[in-house]
Amino acid sequence: MELDLRNKKILLVDDFSEFRFSVKKMLQSGGAANIDDVSNGEDAIDRMSRKNYDIILCDYNLGQDKKDGQQILEEAKHRGFLKTSTLFIMVTAENTMDMVMGAIEYQPDDYMTKPFTKEVLNNRVSKLLEKKHVLKDIEKAVSREDYKRAIALCDAQLAANPKNAMELFRIKSDALLSLGQYDDAINILEKVLSSRDLPWARLGIGKIYFQKKNYIEAKEHFQEIIGNNKAYMEAYDWLSKTLVELGDQQSAQKTLEEAVALSPKAILRQRALGELALKNNDHDTAEKSFKKSVAMGKTSIYKSAKDYTGLAKTVMNAKKNPVDALTILKDAEKDFQLNPEVMMQTAAMEGVIYKKIGHEGKAKEAIDKASALMEEHGAKVSPDVAMDVAKSFFDVGETEKGQKVMHDIVQNNHDDEAILKKVQDAFDDANLKDVGKEMIASTKQEIIKINNEGVNLVKKGMLVEAIEVFDKAADGLPQNKIVNANAAQALIMIIQKNGKNDKYIYQCKKYLDRLRKIDPNYPKFQQLVKIFGELNAV
Amino acid sequence: MDIEQKEDNIDFSSMLASTVHDMKGSLTMLLNTLDEIIVDTKNTNLNIYAQFSKLQYEAKRVNNNLIQLLTIYKMEKSQYNVNIEHYSVSDFLDEQILQSKSLFEFHNITVSLDCHSDLYWYFDRDLLSGVINNVINNIIRYTKDKFSLKAYVADNCLHIELHDNGRGYPKTFATTDSVSHKRVSFATGSTGLGLYFSSLVARAHRNKNETGSIMVNNNSEFGGGLFTIILP
Repeated sequence: MELDLRNKKILLVDDFSEFRFSVKKMLQSGGAANIDDVSNGEDAIDRMSRKNYDIILCDYNLGQDKKDGQQILEEAKHRGFLKTSTLFIMVTAENTMDMVMGAIEYQPDDYMTKPFTKEVLNNRVSKLLEKKHVLKDIEKAVSREDYKRAIALCDAQLAANPKNAMELFRIKSDALLSLGQYDDAINILEKVLSSRDLPWARLGIGKIYFQKKNYIEAKEHFQEIIGNNKAYMEAYDWLSKTLVELGDQQSAQKTLEEAVALSPKAILRQRALGELALKNNDHDTAEKSFKKSVAMGKTSIYKSAKDYTGLAKTVMNAKKNPVDALTILKDAEKDFQLNPEVMMQTAAMEGVIYKKIGHEGKAKEAIDKASALMEEHGAKVSPDVAMDVAKSFFDVGETEKGQKVMHDIVQNNHDDEAILKKVQDAFDDANLKDVGKEMIASTKQEIIKINNEGVNLVKKGMLVEAIEVFDKAADGLPQNKIVNANAAQALIMIIQKNGKNDKYIYQCKKYLDRLRKIDPNYPKFQQLVKIFGELNAV
Repeated sequence: MDIEQKEDNIDFSSMLASTVHDMKGSLTMLLNTLDEIIVDTKNTNLNIYAQFSKLQYEAKRVNNNLIQLLTIYKMEKSQYNVNIEHYSVSDFLDEQILQSKSLFEFHNITVSLDCHSDLYWYFDRDLLSGVINNVINNIIRYTKDKFSLKAYVADNCLHIELHDNGRGYPKTFATTDSVSHKRVSFATGSTGLGLYFSSLVARAHRNKNETGSIMVNNNSEFGGGLFTIILP
């Protein structure tokens, strides 16, 4: 493929105008004509929201207290401003490892170290465009969560051309992991490891053991990565999670403390540390971490109300300082522009604080506000947020309100053991162990009953009636995976039997969209998407 | 008392890092601008072209030395984190040649690359680029008119060879064995630093029980110096 920059839309991000000017000239010498340049993250995001760039060259270090290149990448991806074909190159002044260390979820296509000549730049861009082009269909399939197709495409390329073998192995093993095909994924990763102990491959294996609840094995892999490569930050995150599962919260916290000392810039890690420290009653560490995550949140897409409620809780518990705690919550409301999901968390926490200092009236007011917000927006919030609010309800003695929220959480997640365990833990903490046990068991029963009713109708071939049952159930349980998947499946079956029908297709799409939002990696969702796609193609 | 304490508190390593960062910003601008002037004057003003090409060579030396010093410092303090990934060797070497293209042209040095396009290997790109760039800069100064780069795999190791047709390496460090960094003498000037850096980089590459090494001798195919780095 020839390097033709003429039609490419290019964005340069660097705080140093002379550098932008000189890189612009380099790209122009390679034929580029459509180049925009900006000096900071806000402008970069703004440009990306209005124009579909093909190539983005972004400096990592854009000045103190400013969005850095990694945060720009995260926000742009998160907000969907980057096409799968967009090339994102991170430009750095020195060795790139410090940046790689901070990155968790999103990585640029490549790193370039200053200084470079125009020949090197144009050559690198052309090679990357070529690679991007070759992997285009695979990346598209992955971004649509069509992992089966992604795997088939990887296999085809691996057979035809060994050029991007490592990349293809990595994508394929991730796709297999998303589909729950653990053993196949392990096979590929073991094969990679047999040629070289690459940390990403070992991390992949550790993650699979974690999913398989084989925590001891997982722990050994994560520790081995850190032993060989102490800068591989993701291994610390997973080791910490694994230690929590093994019941060793103290070591889990220590692990994150080590990681944060090496690479303090990752907001998600700071938050995780804050939450662990809070559970371990280590208020100093909790306060320090939440303060950092609040500060980082100001320029990050990952900012969360939890940083503020966590900080407020520590300030209240450790320093008995309600004024500061309330101020922190007010800051959150301001920083999140009165977002209802945030408001329900802060209002509930306000209730807890007022109750503690004996302001019963104000406490009730805050709790009622949280409760009303939950009533109105509850169906849309994540189980995490809902649980946070429910815990606050328990804390102030509003047991009934707390139970109701927990009941909704269980209804929508009746088969998710991790969430059910957290729910039970919260009941335990509130001295409501048996109430929680009973509620979880009966709610599970209730869902299973409705679900079985529908499944039986399907078995009898009464598809129209089955759809009616699932439809009703799914409307009441918009976040329940199994019920929504069964609703979609019954619709697919009736389409297969009676032929296409706009109404059924429309309904089926609705359930599949819901499933995608709940858990795109749910294996049954994958199967349904595939069959639905084939049906639609006919 | 107070003043002394303050001085103790200065964190030398972060001061060094931020100063180098700052200097590299200036050097980047200097190198970019020189590159532009060189292109503009190549066919119009031979005198300026020659002068700026010399400047470019010197600026590159400063840049290389700076990278080496900072990397060595970080490695000795265990602050450098080696990042081994799987790369196309020919793409990587192409880029190293391109990085010095205008200097090769100025000195009329014929460059050749012998590397299979399917050759992939595991290495830290920043570190290896530091090594190759530094050797290339020396070759630009000492070779007569030839430079060749070869890469191949033998005994499960990647070998990268840099051949020139200059006078060869001085006897003090030319050896047919692999170079141990303990034997490198700094009395010989910046080449000493370069070799020390190269052997550190080589040794930072490990696989199973094998460790990387470098070799320096005068067995070049052109009868000049030959630098080899071997990575497991």
